[in-house]
Amino acid sequence: MKLKHSLKTAYTGLEQNRARSFLTILGIVIGVAAIILVMSLGQGAQALILDQVKGMGTRTIIVGGGREPKGPSDAGQIFNDSLKKRDLDFLERRENTPSVKFVMPLIFGAAGASYQSDTYNLTIFGASPLMEKIFDMPFKTGGMFTEEDIRARAKYVIIGNKVKTQLFGADDAIGQVIKMKGYNFRVIGVLTEQGQSAFNFDEAAIIPYTTAQDYVLGIKYFNRFVIEAQSDELVNSASDEVALTLRESHNITDPAKDDFFVITQVSLANSLSSITSVLTIFLAAVAAISLIVGGIGIMNIMLVSVTERTKEIGLRKALGATYKDILTQFLLEAVMLTGMGGLVGILLGAFLSWAISAGITQFTSIAWTFSFPVSAALLGLGVSGAIGLIFGLYPARTAARKSPIDALRYE
Amino acid sequence: MPLIEVRNLTKVYVNDEIETPVLHGVSFGIERGEFVAIMGPSGSGKSTLLHVLGFLDGYTNGSYRFEDKEASTYEGDAMSHIRNKKLGFIFQSFNLLAHASVFENVKLPLFYSDIPESEWTKLVTDAIETVGLTHRTDFDVTRLSGGEKQRVAIARALVCSPEVIFADEPTGNLDSKSGGGVMQTLQDLNEKHGHTIILITHETYTAEHARRIIRIKDGLIESDTEVVARRHTTAGMLMK
Repeated sequence: MKLKHSLKTAYTGLEQNRARSFLTILGIVIGVAAIILVMSLGQGAQALILDQVKGMGTRTIIVGGGREPKGPSDAGQIFNDSLKKRDLDFLERRENTPSVKFVMPLIFGAAGASYQSDTYNLTIFGASPLMEKIFDMPFKTGGMFTEEDIRARAKYVIIGNKVKTQLFGADDAIGQVIKMKGYNFRVIGVLTEQGQSAFNFDEAAIIPYTTAQDYVLGIKYFNRFVIEAQSDELVNSASDEVALTLRESHNITDPAKDDFFVITQVSLANSLSSITSVLTIFLAAVAAISLIVGGIGIMNIMLVSVTERTKEIGLRKALGATYKDILTQFLLEAVMLTGMGGLVGILLGAFLSWAISAGITQFTSIAWTFSFPVSAALLGLGVSGAIGLIFGLYPARTAARKSPIDALRYE
Repeated sequence: MPLIEVRNLTKVYVNDEIETPVLHGVSFGIERGEFVAIMGPSGSGKSTLLHVLGFLDGYTNGSYRFEDKEASTYEGDAMSHIRNKKLGFIFQSFNLLAHASVFENVKLPLFYSDIPESEWTKLVTDAIETVGLTHRTDFDVTRLSGGEKQRVAIARALVCSPEVIFADEPTGNLDSKSGGGVMQTLQDLNEKHGHTIILITHETYTAEHARRIIRIKDGLIESDTEVVARRHTTAGMLMK
């Protein structure tokens, strides 16, 4: 029997039970739709993360004190004091780090800021003027402090948009004085609202790092060095140079005993995207379970259908259908069912993830982009076809094995 | 040499190690162009004999030669192919595909044949014409009367130009008038088109439409006689 006729026969078989065929494939539709949804949202999340990491510049290298924080038990590492002024001097020496363009020390902590009777708890960043460039800070009014202000331990502050609104309302903040840890700081800049992004300075105050160390936070170390390589190609060599220089400065010979860690944006992006990949795969696997459940449903209905159509099978055999003809007919029916389920599921999943993407963009300030996971769609179609084959095989064999006499006699 | 030659044929059904002998050794021959009725009460073994002769079932002992070739040498797909090419079946309960047209039903055996698709339409149209249902070609079979349904089944049995047509109680589900029409059609096939027909029935009246009657009882041939007063349904009844 030719494939064309087999297809038509199988299709006719399904069409005669349209309502039942539809209900049967619902499990597959939902399973495939769920997989597409998870994969699409996973891709979107990954794109978002990579976008934000790239927003900080792919040439950026971050150095922190202590071990690289890998879990909750490493929370204490944030107070590690291994990065000192001496390290900064070492790193800034051109002969030590030829691939490095500049090094910015960064410290952070929490403090209350008050203006007149209002107090607001904010995050303090102690930084250098390079901060503006590295984080691409958008000034609403005013501007950044200078290298001179660093040396002079100037009590200047740049505040985020939310801090400004909380303390000053609609009034102009530039030139006003706010009080932090008993010291008066003059506001020299206000940032525009940033909303959801990787680096959110809306609730922050940025002051010279020298001022932060000596007056506000009272510490002698740095939390981070933010380093920029000369070029994208030199990121890896810059990160090696930084590590070697710090080991020299700390008298460390065994890299396993490093009391600092170096992260490049590339490695950060990689580890973040591997986390989202694992999550996506995990969720897709959960969704795939519903495909198996759907497959069992298909097998169940196919068995019912084979029993119902025993007489038809007997007739076809009496008229000359071979084992293979009957097997093919019922297998094709199963594959057609699941294939259609897969197709509908892909469309449904794509529509849902598009709707969710549109919703995220509409109702939040996250720049979410909808992406249709082509590979997941092909996978979904392939898997649903395979499920038809696997779960259709047993009913199809049952059908093909029927003896024409018994089948014709069946009432 | 006869088209069908049966020698000492026995058939024993084995079910859960319990043996039930059905045919105890029957012998006869059927030539091309014959119209034979196999008659017997229920349980006589006539259906079993039809299954064996129709390559739907095997036999236990003895010999069954079809076109001078032992039937037991055919197995599996070969049996399917010989049913498709050489044999036509007409069943008591018609066994048509519901929700399909007369044309689609008659076409069914061609799906499983090696006849080129380009010839299908002509073969189907010719077969439908032979049974006088051309005006019903595109009707859904559920809309046909019982007699018409059985004639669709006859057309389906004809479409691959078989050597033998087996008719298993073809009038069993029909009133006498439509039954007469079906028998007339079978007689026409035999007389005008030279088809070999083997009819299975338990009614003497129906059997007497054939030229020869083989009576079976308890798995043995009781008698094998020519029909002296052959019955014919009037052409007028058929044209209805």
